[in-house]
Amino acid sequence: MDQTLGDFIKALRNADVRVSSTEVVDAHKVVDLVGYTDREMLKNALALVLPKTADEKGIYDYTFDRFFKFDELDEMEMADRASAAGEAGGDTEAGESTGQEGGGEGQGGGGQNNMAEAGSGGAGAPSDTDAAQQGEMREHLSPLSQMVLSGDRAGISVAMAEAGEAVGLRNIHIFTQKGLYSRRILEHMGLKALNNDITALRKRDNANAHELAERLRKGREYLLSQVRDYVEQQFLLHADVDGSHLREDILSKSRLTNIERRDYRMVQEMVRKMAKRLIAIHSRRRKVYDRGALDIRKTMAKNHAYDGVPFDIRWKSVKIDRPKVVAICDVSGSVAKVAHFMLMFLYSLNEVMPKVRSFAFSGRLGEVSDLFKDSDVETAMAKTLAEWGQGSTDYGRSLQDFAELALNDIDSRTTVIILGDARSNYGDPGAEIMKKIYERSKWVMWLNPEEKNTWNYADSVMRKFQPYCHQVQVCNSLTHLERIVSSVLRSAT
Amino acid sequence: MTLVKPIQSPGGKIDSIDAIRAGFETLGYITNPQIATSIYLAQNLEKPLLVEGPPGVGKTELAIATSKYLGLPLVRLQCYEGLDESKALYEWKYGKQLLYTQILRETLGEVLQGAKGLSESMKRLHQFSDVFFSEQFLEERPLMKAMRAPAGAVLLIDELDKADQEFESFLLELLSEYQISIPEIGTIKATIKPIVFLTSNNTRELSDALKRRCLHLYIPFPDAALERRIIAARVPDVSVRLRNELVAFIQELRGLDLKKLPAVSETIDWARTLLLLHANTLDPEMVRATLNVILKFQDDIEAVGAQLTTLTAEALKAAERPLGAL
Repeated sequence: MDQTLGDFIKALRNADVRVSSTEVVDAHKVVDLVGYTDREMLKNALALVLPKTADEKGIYDYTFDRFFKFDELDEMEMADRASAAGEAGGDTEAGESTGQEGGGEGQGGGGQNNMAEAGSGGAGAPSDTDAAQQGEMREHLSPLSQMVLSGDRAGISVAMAEAGEAVGLRNIHIFTQKGLYSRRILEHMGLKALNNDITALRKRDNANAHELAERLRKGREYLLSQVRDYVEQQFLLHADVDGSHLREDILSKSRLTNIERRDYRMVQEMVRKMAKRLIAIHSRRRKVYDRGALDIRKTMAKNHAYDGVPFDIRWKSVKIDRPKVVAICDVSGSVAKVAHFMLMFLYSLNEVMPKVRSFAFSGRLGEVSDLFKDSDVETAMAKTLAEWGQGSTDYGRSLQDFAELALNDIDSRTTVIILGDARSNYGDPGAEIMKKIYERSKWVMWLNPEEKNTWNYADSVMRKFQPYCHQVQVCNSLTHLERIVSSVLRSAT
Repeated sequence: MTLVKPIQSPGGKIDSIDAIRAGFETLGYITNPQIATSIYLAQNLEKPLLVEGPPGVGKTELAIATSKYLGLPLVRLQCYEGLDESKALYEWKYGKQLLYTQILRETLGEVLQGAKGLSESMKRLHQFSDVFFSEQFLEERPLMKAMRAPAGAVLLIDELDKADQEFESFLLELLSEYQISIPEIGTIKATIKPIVFLTSNNTRELSDALKRRCLHLYIPFPDAALERRIIAARVPDVSVRLRNELVAFIQELRGLDLKKLPAVSETIDWARTLLLLHANTLDPEMVRATLNVILKFQDDIEAVGAQLTTLTAEALKAAERPLGAL
């Protein structure tokens, strides 16, 4: 298995492109066919095999460019180094004055440039005898120090990549590990020896040695920044999404009431993803029924028994059955947050559940379907809260309102979802209306955001509603919501 | 461009991506590197090619050009709701089958003549060759025709998203194994694997199972440089100036918020229209008069009509700017 390709596919998967194993096999065949030599062609070719939607193509382009950037950098640096070496050669021939300039620049420059110039300066600055002396000193230094001194950027890149490989940089998961991995890589590259070299050179009573030590120190700084960049880059490629996977995982299991505002965006994104998944599963559940055309084949096959006389006629048919959902949500106090996410969920499912009617209540009840259909969830929820969120919860009154508004629309195809904590402030819960809803509908589901052991405690009247529900469930996290909505879809088709 | 493993193909025409690009260009189909690569891989990996993109960017045209380029027959299957295997794959010749049963009944006497007892009659009946469900009574439909084409074929399954989910699943066997199963006869394998193109306008998401088996090519609207080349190839009589101007105009329209954006086919139509009207350059009045060639909704025409003068002026300016090598 080709390691580079494997890593690239991992990076793609991290970026939410779905790559199945068949596609991995295809990708290998593609690489066998086109090779790594022509970058553009490789990109075009893999684009046909790995990403399979227009969205994924965009992600693919971005990931490809980022992933194979490192290689390109390498080539560039090779070229750089060749030219730098050329200059350095020229400098020595030209003599002292230009050499001094080179050295000066080397001290002034920072970052990447620093390296090349320090390299050229190294060859150019000292006079012949000094150069010889330094050259001799250099021979005793560690390989890393020599590489740093000669400005071998390609060599450093390679060593860095090798060290990264050796310490398992690919397994980096969360950003706090960046420091750890940087240090490990540096250690693996031989930072210790480099440090020792610097100390040793400083101790020597020799101007040349001190100069060399100074250059090494600058080189080390460059090295540190390079390694940091490298780790950062690899982190983004391999771990960024892992981190958010972890967060998503935690968020999906934590109580919706505890989710903070700053996480709302992420939760919304997650709801969108979940809804998309459910749509993908359930949009396939269309049944075929009553299309109207005569199915000659089936009729013939069926009627062979009757001597080919078309006696038992078969029709081709399509049956499209979509769930009708009525959601009744308590929007008082803490239940409101759960209601928020549930409505968000239901309306994201527009494609497979076009008939969602929603009602909100606390003191009184009103229909909010249009609000959610026309504006985005945030504004709709704010408006709902402003309009219906006032007053203490009154289940009896609200159910009465509901009966007047929509009881007649509930038929044997309707699933009714009620979300509330069943705390009616010791008022009449209106269980008789619940009974009517129960009798008319296909399915009644009560979702309670409170844990089961607090039900029926104090003013909670779950036990009065429970007989009139087909299903009663705790619902206070995204995972719950997904499970519930999925079951609504399944029972409806 | 080094190719590790060039394979033998009809007339060596698909040996390299450059050859494909050049070859398609002579047929008037201007490819970009992605499209050419897709043809190359479809042939070399023997995988079907799923082409997606907005309507009118040349998805179907690509299959037609490929069949012309390779000199293979094009078998086209247009998908629609309700399409099933009896229309796509095969059908029994029911009329003939009925006749056959009648003839059989008449000859039954001869066959059973002299048979003693029921068991011997049955035995004789079994010996009698059973041709009721045999190839003689098989009516070929496009898919089977493509599979059994003696020299290979280009199979175009057009607008697959319009067909039902079931049909999509039904295609899976054909797409991965190049074989089809007929319950009464058995499995039929392709003699020479056809080059399969599937096109989709994305009215519905295709299943993962299908996508997994295909190479996936997305053709977006072309950029200005490519579109100029396409117009040059398709409507060669249009002057360079007008060509650049009309392409620039169309490119601008695609940046607007319209119900249906003009596609390449509309650009070509428009170029032909302007040619007929002997236009040398775009002017707002001419554009207004011919706007219905490129925009297909009254709302769009009105929206664009309101800002026509500015759009035309900008298009004229944009046409002056060099676009790099064409």
